[in-house]
Amino acid sequence: MSNPPNKPPDKNSKKNVILFSLLLSVICSLMITAAAVGLKGFQMANMELDKKINILKAANLISHKKPSKEKINELYSVHIKEVTVDDQGKIIENYIPNSLNLYFFQEDGLVKGYILPINTRGLWGKIQGYLAFENDGQTVSGFSVFSHSETPGLGGEIESAWFQKSFKGKKILNSENKFVSVGIAKGKAANLPKDKQAHYVDGISGATLTGKYLSQGIKQTLIKYDSVSITFRQKQLKAQKETQ
Amino acid sequence: MPEEKINYREIVTRGIWKENPVAYQVLGICSALAVTVKMSTSIVMGIALTIVTAFSSLIISSLRKKIPSNIRIIVELAIISSLVIITDQVLKAFFYDISKQLSIFVGLIITNCIVLGRAESFALANRPLASFFDGIGNGLGYSLVLVTVAFLRELLGAGKFLGFNIIPQFIFDAGYQNMGLMVLAPGAFFIIGLLVWLKNSLPGISKPETYK
Repeated sequence: MSNPPNKPPDKNSKKNVILFSLLLSVICSLMITAAAVGLKGFQMANMELDKKINILKAANLISHKKPSKEKINELYSVHIKEVTVDDQGKIIENYIPNSLNLYFFQEDGLVKGYILPINTRGLWGKIQGYLAFENDGQTVSGFSVFSHSETPGLGGEIESAWFQKSFKGKKILNSENKFVSVGIAKGKAANLPKDKQAHYVDGISGATLTGKYLSQGIKQTLIKYDSVSITFRQKQLKAQKETQ
Repeated sequence: MPEEKINYREIVTRGIWKENPVAYQVLGICSALAVTVKMSTSIVMGIALTIVTAFSSLIISSLRKKIPSNIRIIVELAIISSLVIITDQVLKAFFYDISKQLSIFVGLIITNCIVLGRAESFALANRPLASFFDGIGNGLGYSLVLVTVAFLRELLGAGKFLGFNIIPQFIFDAGYQNMGLMVLAPGAFFIIGLLVWLKNSLPGISKPETYK
């Protein structure tokens, strides 16, 4: 079958359909690849910076207003030190199985606190963030979220300043020095019994499940890093005895 | 080909008001429910969708004589999704904070029926430039509805405007409470429903037309 002269080839012929789809796929994939590869450098730099910002935020070194890039890098290199510990909470130089990563917050060469990476499931995807503690090993000094895929306006509020600030000063130990973790209340923390208020922050309305998963994730992380917190508590006790 | 004068301004304004994609064509409702809790996210979503619709209409329209009609939906979707992925990558590289806020919604532009709807109903039958402006008009019309809904939801649900508290504290002290319903998806349903009703009952401006 041949086309009569002066008539353009049929665009619906099988040959044309296959040719068109092949060409389209090649062009589309080339464009996407070019964008992904070409912009990767920028994206990685953004993510790296964002991670540093959130570590600094958890350590209360910067507020929710964003300082310049140079300032962030400077603050980070002065105050934050990445360390690896073994399962006994001892600092080790090299990576071994079951070792844990965390960050020390230093001021004038002294360790003022430590920052744990939080990596948990949320409602729609992973929630990654940082939880910072004072050097008494039980008081939360800050919380920040680095990446999440919760619903904007509902679960996405875990990114907001009011929610993250409410973690400050919460305790992971109860009055009998037993581990209880910190969690997100359903509704206002003020409505909870008195003995629980020190361990809960206000929940986000419309995001009960996000709160539930995040509470679970924080608890699991704290159990995993328990040896680190214990080491800090023992150091604190020792220091207190020495001063007395 | 007959040289008829195309009224671009008419094409754009038709998308914004007369044949508004959300209020008249009832397209793109799903994302209108999801991103309208806050004004800032809906503004960025509106801009992103306008750009994607405009360029996908432009590309599809310029290929309209080449696209085999039996695989045209696949072709349209391939073009739209490539554009969305590229938009997402660009946002991540240069507007990292905004892309973090929008998170999954940028990817969801692919499934926004406005983009495919305009490609099917306009771009396949019209010239590239006209299709481009049709995309812009419809994107702006969508943004208009989104921003209106977000304005009401943010104001009633959180007492804020673009993140700033605007309802003074003494009103809260006097017993005023934020409307929890507005933060949730049903709140958007009510507002969009009321908006559609309001728009279609305004006299003289928008008599429902019969489809050709």
